[in-house]
Amino acid sequence: MMKLALTGNPNTGKTSLFNMLTDSYEYVGNWAGVTIEKKVGMLNNKRGQLIDLPGIYSLSPLSRDEGVTTLYLLDETPSMLLNVVDASQLERNLHLTIQLLEYGRPVVLALNMIDVANKRGLNIDVQLLAQQIGIPIVPVIARTGYGCDVLLETSMQASDDSGSATSSRRFDYGPVLEEAIGKLEAMLPKELTSARWLALQLLEGNIPVLQKLRQHVDPVRLQTLYDETEKLVQEQANGKKLADYIRDRRAAVIQGWLQHAVLETKEQRTTLSERIDAIVMNKFLGIPVFLAFMYLTFKLTFDWFGTPLSDGLDSLLNGFVRDSLSSFLDSVGAAAFIKAVLLDGVISGVGGVLVFVPQIFMLFLIISFIEDSGYMARIATVMDKLLEGVGLNGKAFIPMIIGFGCNVPGIMAARTIEQPKERLLTILLTPLMSCSARLSVYSLFVGTFFEKNQALIVLSLYVLGVVVALVLAKLFSFTLAKEEESMFIVEMPPYRVPQWRTLSRSTWEKGKGFVRKAGTFIFGGSVVIWMLGYSGFSGWNVPMNESFLQSVGSLISPIMEPLGFGNWQAGAALITGFLAKEVVVSTMGIIYAAPTEAGLEGAITQFFTPLQAYSFMVFILLYVPCLATVGVIRSETKSAKWTWFSVIYALIVAYIIAFIIYRAGLLLGFH
Amino acid sequence: MTLLETSFGSNVKVMNLDNVHALVRRRLGDLGVMEGSVISLRKAMPFGGPCTIEIKGQWIAIRRKDAGSILVEAV
Repeated sequence: MMKLALTGNPNTGKTSLFNMLTDSYEYVGNWAGVTIEKKVGMLNNKRGQLIDLPGIYSLSPLSRDEGVTTLYLLDETPSMLLNVVDASQLERNLHLTIQLLEYGRPVVLALNMIDVANKRGLNIDVQLLAQQIGIPIVPVIARTGYGCDVLLETSMQASDDSGSATSSRRFDYGPVLEEAIGKLEAMLPKELTSARWLALQLLEGNIPVLQKLRQHVDPVRLQTLYDETEKLVQEQANGKKLADYIRDRRAAVIQGWLQHAVLETKEQRTTLSERIDAIVMNKFLGIPVFLAFMYLTFKLTFDWFGTPLSDGLDSLLNGFVRDSLSSFLDSVGAAAFIKAVLLDGVISGVGGVLVFVPQIFMLFLIISFIEDSGYMARIATVMDKLLEGVGLNGKAFIPMIIGFGCNVPGIMAARTIEQPKERLLTILLTPLMSCSARLSVYSLFVGTFFEKNQALIVLSLYVLGVVVALVLAKLFSFTLAKEEESMFIVEMPPYRVPQWRTLSRSTWEKGKGFVRKAGTFIFGGSVVIWMLGYSGFSGWNVPMNESFLQSVGSLISPIMEPLGFGNWQAGAALITGFLAKEVVVSTMGIIYAAPTEAGLEGAITQFFTPLQAYSFMVFILLYVPCLATVGVIRSETKSAKWTWFSVIYALIVAYIIAFIIYRAGLLLGFH
Repeated sequence: MTLLETSFGSNVKVMNLDNVHALVRRRLGDLGVMEGSVISLRKAMPFGGPCTIEIKGQWIAIRRKDAGSILVEAV
């Protein structure tokens, strides 16, 4: 089986190309660091696999996601490397190409975004460039699919020709380095392939390579050789660091390649991106524009599109679907028990969650737009100063925005943050971002208690989550390891008009998880919760007030009394809500045995006042990350201690804040 | 002079990056900003926030403190 590995700088369109060349679909966006894991897909011609790797600038990783690519190349032997380069940024992209050529597998260059380069006045003589570098080059436009067939054909050819022989390319690094490389190569055991590549990577300061070589060679000898070489280089090249010296040598090679092959035909002029940035990155307007954008998001989700659609879906589910199912069950003579499970358990539980699908898809559509347009990197920049003040950097805002959709991918997106402490803090705080599952709880409550100000009330909860995260970041960064210096650097991609195809695809990919969860997890959960409500110590079919669910809810309701929602129904919903936050809605639907949302809304007005409802929403926002999020915190931090910490601090903070809001609200005369 | 002392949009040549945060310097190098490259300062965010620099059509945002440690010279 052929294995083709996709490599290239961040945000050069590797994943777009992956989606074109394989039968699978992966998540794309216009910012550096979208792909954080390796993804494998079957090539369209079924002759091999394509492996999509996180973007890297060089093979020495700085952040966790970049390490994935380096480790892949160290541990596996792909049949060939498909190197994707951004045609308008050839020079810096080719630094990686040189390292890939040295690695020793056949390389084919995909010259992506050739249209953008042409528009910017770069005239690239592809044939001449291919001759200069000595590898096949195929111009492509991954977004439209232009050139993809030729690329696939060329790549097949290259890996067929290669056979088993490796053909590592040699570039001359000057006498001092060449001597050091020779010595290192001699130290390495014979069975290691691409010894020269390993030696060079080591001299560049590549940590994973160092760790690998330490298994074969005495670490002291490696260190001595490294130090000696660095000293010699510094003497010769007035104080240059070894890695910088290597980079300079490569830059010279690249200059030689590009000299005749690339012509700039047009003077640089003000681009559209610059004109947009003049507004969204404006000194005074930057932050207001961002806030206005967020407000618009909630207006769209609630007032303009999401809610009307949800209401329509609700009347369909609870009217037509429920009635037809009911009469169907009657006609086949189903037992009363089965009828109760399906109508009061499944339809109330799953249906209660499904009605929020339109709002959640609307939110995902907007998040996809932010990702695909190029606005993401700008938001990170606009927010950096604020986040620096609390011990984070602007990039931490990216996981947080993704967390608005779902906390799980949000926490994974923290991999692009370079500093370990900032990454840990971001992982711990992303669960405070109000995810789409919590949205279903708010939708239920604001629809009931705050009909006039739905968008505003929900926005206040999102802002509360962000504010609490910032305050806690400040607090934690005092107490956690604080010696690490904060850093921030982000590349700003040119804006792109998102393609409708990409947007709808990526919205669907994000949203289908929610729908699937409703069909599996929430379905099962609803049945179990319904059973708990149907049975009690005295047997089956007991009144809800004597059920097991009531016993469980009563355990914690006294603790919740000071927060304003000391009824057992709220207690039971909170406990089951740990599984997934939407389950809060399902549980309430089942408890209040409400056939329609209007009925459920009517029922909860008997148990909550508006202030109590707000306090309850605040508690739901903050109290614990859901089960799936706890799982991903565990796998990303690889620490049981931090996982427990994330659950416990959230409970404490939720309790304190809901308490303050409820008590202050009472004092101010709200009820 | 440092990059921060240059006027917005004017091209300058990078002379020295030694005092820039080590990881930021690495990443700048990855993006093509090294000694000898021609760059320009483009924008600055308010309240001492980050600023953006441009190199060969590529825009990068870095903190003002780091921009202030880039020594440059007029071209």
